[in-house]
Amino acid sequence: MAAGNIRRDNPATSNKLTAYFLHHLQSLVFSLGKIYSAPATTIMTVAVIGITMSLPGGFYLFLKNIDAMAGDFRSSTQITLFLDFGLDEKSARSLERQIASTANVKSTQFVSRAASLEAFRETSGFGKSIDTLASNPLPHTIIVEPANNADTFTIKNLLNSLQSLPEVDIAKLDTEWLERLYTILEIAKRAVGIITILFAFAVLLIIGNTIRLDIQNRYQEIVVTKLIGATNAFIRRPFLYGGLWYGLLGGITSWIIVEAGYMAISEPLNRLNMLYQADLVLITFSFHDFIILITSSTLLGLTGSWIAVAKHLNQIEPT
Amino acid sequence: MIEFHNVSKRFPGGHDALTNVSMHLDKGAMAFLTGHSGAGKSTLLKIISLIEKPTRGQALLNHINLSTVTKSQIPYIRRKIGFIFQDHQLLFDRSVFDNVAMPLTIQGYRHQEIAKRTRAALDKVGLLHKEKSLPITLSGGEQQRVGIARAVVHKPMLLLADEPTGNLDPVLSREIMQIFIDFHQVGVSVLVASHDLNLIDELQKPVLTLNRGQMIHNDLDYVPDFLG
Ligand SMILES: Nc1ncnc2c1ncn2[C@@H]1O[C@H](COP(=O)(O)OP(=O)(O)O)[C@@H](O)[C@H]1O
Ligand SMILES: [Mg+2]
Repeated sequence: MAAGNIRRDNPATSNKLTAYFLHHLQSLVFSLGKIYSAPATTIMTVAVIGITMSLPGGFYLFLKNIDAMAGDFRSSTQITLFLDFGLDEKSARSLERQIASTANVKSTQFVSRAASLEAFRETSGFGKSIDTLASNPLPHTIIVEPANNADTFTIKNLLNSLQSLPEVDIAKLDTEWLERLYTILEIAKRAVGIITILFAFAVLLIIGNTIRLDIQNRYQEIVVTKLIGATNAFIRRPFLYGGLWYGLLGGITSWIIVEAGYMAISEPLNRLNMLYQADLVLITFSFHDFIILITSSTLLGLTGSWIAVAKHLNQIEPT
Repeated sequence: MIEFHNVSKRFPGGHDALTNVSMHLDKGAMAFLTGHSGAGKSTLLKIISLIEKPTRGQALLNHINLSTVTKSQIPYIRRKIGFIFQDHQLLFDRSVFDNVAMPLTIQGYRHQEIAKRTRAALDKVGLLHKEKSLPITLSGGEQQRVGIARAVVHKPMLLLADEPTGNLDPVLSREIMQIFIDFHQVGVSVLVASHDLNLIDELQKPVLTLNRGQMIHNDLDYVPDFLG
């Protein structure tokens, strides 16, 4: 045996590669068995990870709902065009058709000055006094509903171009509150981003620490396996898979926590909907969200254990 | 199998555990390593098993210079050796069978092969009927035999034992030593560190004696192989 072929004259097995993958599988199952045989520690760790991850998860879902509601408001945004007094009903109606066919307009509705006055008489409570007016003081109006996918900027542009039409006296859109809402949403999204990063670090630390303790508890086992010829990769494997399981189970736990919170809120909301014939719907994690949550928690678990293993495992040598 | 050329080991702090030790153990030979406590027996075995490196001189295992071995080669060299410790170093969270199977699992043997070889090793130390037991339920002598089964299961060329009978009564000690002699008789090289001089006298094998890190007696240098 020469120094150069130390590896090669290993006792051969009939299929090394199969054995290699088999060991990966064994480590995966073995590490799950370890987790299973220490339920108290595992439940604690998984619960801490689950709770930690449920916070950004819950915030994310909250924002998603606010965003959807704001979207509903936006799609109900209307621009009201008060037309020139001089414009007769026929030209006004043709203007309406013309506007209806422009880009970013979903629908238009023509309201004649007579109809406006009638509506005003009925809703304002000034019925009698209005009858004393010599002539109708209201202009013809066109109500324009922007396209569903139009954002604030597009709506602003649409408003400006409608305003510049010669037949239009005043084009009115109360966007200020909507813009304010969007700004707040933007800030909240960024806050959720920061929270998510912070909590991801927390999960890394939790898993890293759990794996570190696990390594310390199995110090003797590591020393013995090194002495009987285990490679570092072999010793590393069960710990890495341990981290992977913690991450995966923690992610599923956080999903359950957020779903439970969602159900707790949507139950009274449904009663509210029944009572008031309202149509408020809460949205929950999509399948896509779920996959991202589970994948990222699993990756965090793997990364956390990788850091712990790199830091602590290679230092252990037999003495 | 093992060659030491003027090997010295000085630990950080300046303590000399070995001074100018030269020896060689032929392939298939067996010898006892004796000496007072602190003489350097464990240090010598640790150099062979790549736990410590010599500070001076050359230690060779199978013609490999152990000073030049890289970290990633260490596991593969250790697989050539079977270790037996004074305190057996069994893992108490798994069965006797799983303990003995460890070297084979580490080396990626197939399932059937592991079962076959593990049972054969347990049979050799007379503990096949205990394969499903947990080590904690065994007596001291039985635990040491499980340790031996684990050391030989992968058929190493060399067995190293550091005071394997240190915790056992004379009857059990003789039993354990007999197992080593059995392995020696089927061609395995064996080096046993022990200070049980009565037992060593009885067994009629070459003796190496260390005193304060120096080799003061070396049967291997003048006992021809056919007598050893
Ligand atoms: N890691 C170490 N650091 C410093 N000194 C050590 C170390 N290991 C052993 N020694 C010293 O080296 C000498 C030989 O020790 P050892 O080989 O264990 O002796 P033995 O096994 O013959 O009892 C002792 O004096 C011991 O104190
Ligand atoms: Mg010793």
